[in-house]
Amino acid sequence: MALIGGIESHASAAEKFNRDVDRVNWHDKALWNLRHKRDLAAESQPEWEDLKQLGSEYKLHTLANLKHYLTEFEANCKKNGIVVHWAKDGKEHNEIVHSILAKHNVKNLVKSKSMLTEECHLNPYLIERGIDVIDTDLGERIIQLNEQPPSHIVVPAIHLKKEEVGELFHRKIGSEKGASCPTYLTKQARAHLRQKFLEADAGLTGVNMAVASEGAVAIATNEGNADMGVNLPKVQIHCMGIDKIVPNMDAASVLSRTLARNATGQPITSYTTFYKGPKEGGEMHVVLVDNGRTKLFQDELLAEAYKCIRCGGCLNTCPVYRRSSGFSYNALIPGPIGIAVSAGDDETHSLAWACSLCGSCTQVCPTKVPLDKIIFKWRRIHSEQGKLPYGKNGYMPWVGKFMANETMLNLGMASARTALRILPDALMKPFGMDWTKHRELPKAPKTGSFEAWFKKNRENK
Amino acid sequence: MKIALFIPCLVNHMQPNVGIATVELLEKLGHQVILPEGQTCCGQPMTNSGCFEDAKKTTLKLLNAFKGIDCDYIVCPAASCMIAAKENFHEFDCSPEATAVIGKLKELTEFLHDIHGLERFNKPFNHKVSLQMSCHGIRMLDLATPSEIKGSGGYNKVEALLSRIEGIDIAYPERRDECCGFGGTFALDEGAVSGKMGKDKAQAHANTGARYVVGFDPSCLLHLDGVIRREGHPVETLHIAELLNQAL
Repeated sequence: MALIGGIESHASAAEKFNRDVDRVNWHDKALWNLRHKRDLAAESQPEWEDLKQLGSEYKLHTLANLKHYLTEFEANCKKNGIVVHWAKDGKEHNEIVHSILAKHNVKNLVKSKSMLTEECHLNPYLIERGIDVIDTDLGERIIQLNEQPPSHIVVPAIHLKKEEVGELFHRKIGSEKGASCPTYLTKQARAHLRQKFLEADAGLTGVNMAVASEGAVAIATNEGNADMGVNLPKVQIHCMGIDKIVPNMDAASVLSRTLARNATGQPITSYTTFYKGPKEGGEMHVVLVDNGRTKLFQDELLAEAYKCIRCGGCLNTCPVYRRSSGFSYNALIPGPIGIAVSAGDDETHSLAWACSLCGSCTQVCPTKVPLDKIIFKWRRIHSEQGKLPYGKNGYMPWVGKFMANETMLNLGMASARTALRILPDALMKPFGMDWTKHRELPKAPKTGSFEAWFKKNRENK
Repeated sequence: MKIALFIPCLVNHMQPNVGIATVELLEKLGHQVILPEGQTCCGQPMTNSGCFEDAKKTTLKLLNAFKGIDCDYIVCPAASCMIAAKENFHEFDCSPEATAVIGKLKELTEFLHDIHGLERFNKPFNHKVSLQMSCHGIRMLDLATPSEIKGSGGYNKVEALLSRIEGIDIAYPERRDECCGFGGTFALDEGAVSGKMGKDKAQAHANTGARYVVGFDPSCLLHLDGVIRREGHPVETLHIAELLNQAL
């Protein structure tokens, strides 16, 4: 499990990723392509910005009245014959899922679309208890076979090239050696997965939205695998964070219009299914999980991170994510939204600094999560806790003193100008090292400071 | 109008030409320009790192330099410093005097476009320029509609101003407003990613075939200039104040 619970700083992992320039360029281009498709899809909606505003308001309203909507959701689910479970953390979530599976003597479980179960580490938990767990989304299946966590929340295997997938499939599912044709590989995966669907005793999915007024959960996929997994076996389980609740179908329709467009540029995913009760003779369970969410709800700004509908748009537009890959983040969810929800748990304290504060994520977000403001706030929280990375604890107080003292600043900068003029490489610290690794030092101005110029040319005339 | 200049430390010490061009162009437009004493830095390097306590003294020093100064506007030729000043002033001082200062703060392009209404230039500028649409200016100061925003027409104050100059050929790099990778201490904390972002941005500007990369944020230009010279691209950085001053 690359870097989950690891201790490497983001910058260090990103530096390693950047040693292979071709790979960085390829990764950057693949993700930018999604951003480009998103732009075209958004442009096709004249009311795009209104949809974002509505989406933001719906989510904010729901978070502000969470207890009300969760209660309504539970009551309506029960009316529909759905069994509702509550879990305070990942451990409870896993125990609940396992107890349902154990009751039905489930040996084979097919899963689809769930970052939440990754968050709760459900797969290893169930596998240890003798249950064969198969992720059925193509990307998820690829990384499961490759024994890796997802590197992106929507396209989890985006870090792998088709040749690498061909090699993996050859080793793990017996496809032809050297094959890299996406159509061929997809067909191989389809045949492999079809067998798993037929053998499954239960299906488990994540939830894109849970509609309070209906007591229904919605799942969006492009491969139809969630539907296959849920409809074939007798038992279906849907696991969701409590932030996935929406009040009604109007809200669900607004969010559905932006979700896929902002993710991949599709008008809507190939399958968007609302499940409103068990099939005949079957059982339907919904597991609602907190796992730290209500803790972040305490802070008005940090709470806005949970307006997120997990489209992945912020990852695709993030210039840092595209050039450092998902595995450089010391967190399950990478990119701007990953920083927003996990910077508090980051042992390296570097996550909040994996950002140039360009603000593109905030502007691209379909529910207007103020991601750059949240990331900025995490830096302040880390600072106040004395947990700053990259030596900032040591040098920032000095920078503060230096900048606040005109004489020191003027003297310091005058010597820097002189050093730059006469000793081109002399200004190695603190701007040396990484600065000069990638760029030339600034050209020294020929004159003195602007202030000196102004005094001479304006005030004395 | 009477304009007080807010000259950030980077401009004061490393790019005095940007400050000089700002003074000259504002005077050519008939404004009286003053430079209140005691300005050092807006505190952005510290607050961007999360170190608000370390920023306080510096920020308040700058704010105090402007308190009680008789002027119509406080103009700054650096978008990110201007926004940081605005936010930091507000963070550390909510007095009516501080609010008055905040209310007068204008970035140079913003001032020329929105307040002065600069319509006519006297001299042509017969070069192709590639515009550096820096993040703070467009996403926080609304100098232009960011590329992420759709379906609402859009505007671009930088282009609007420059397009009034005769002979100018305006181009944009591919991914027109992707961050250049400077990000203040980000360039040091995340050296590899920052370096790669800078290289990609410099290449995109060079690909336009422009003679100049023109921008309104001196810090992005300082970083890009370093990358451009390292990579040997046949293009130079030019601050918008210098370009406008040449055309007046």
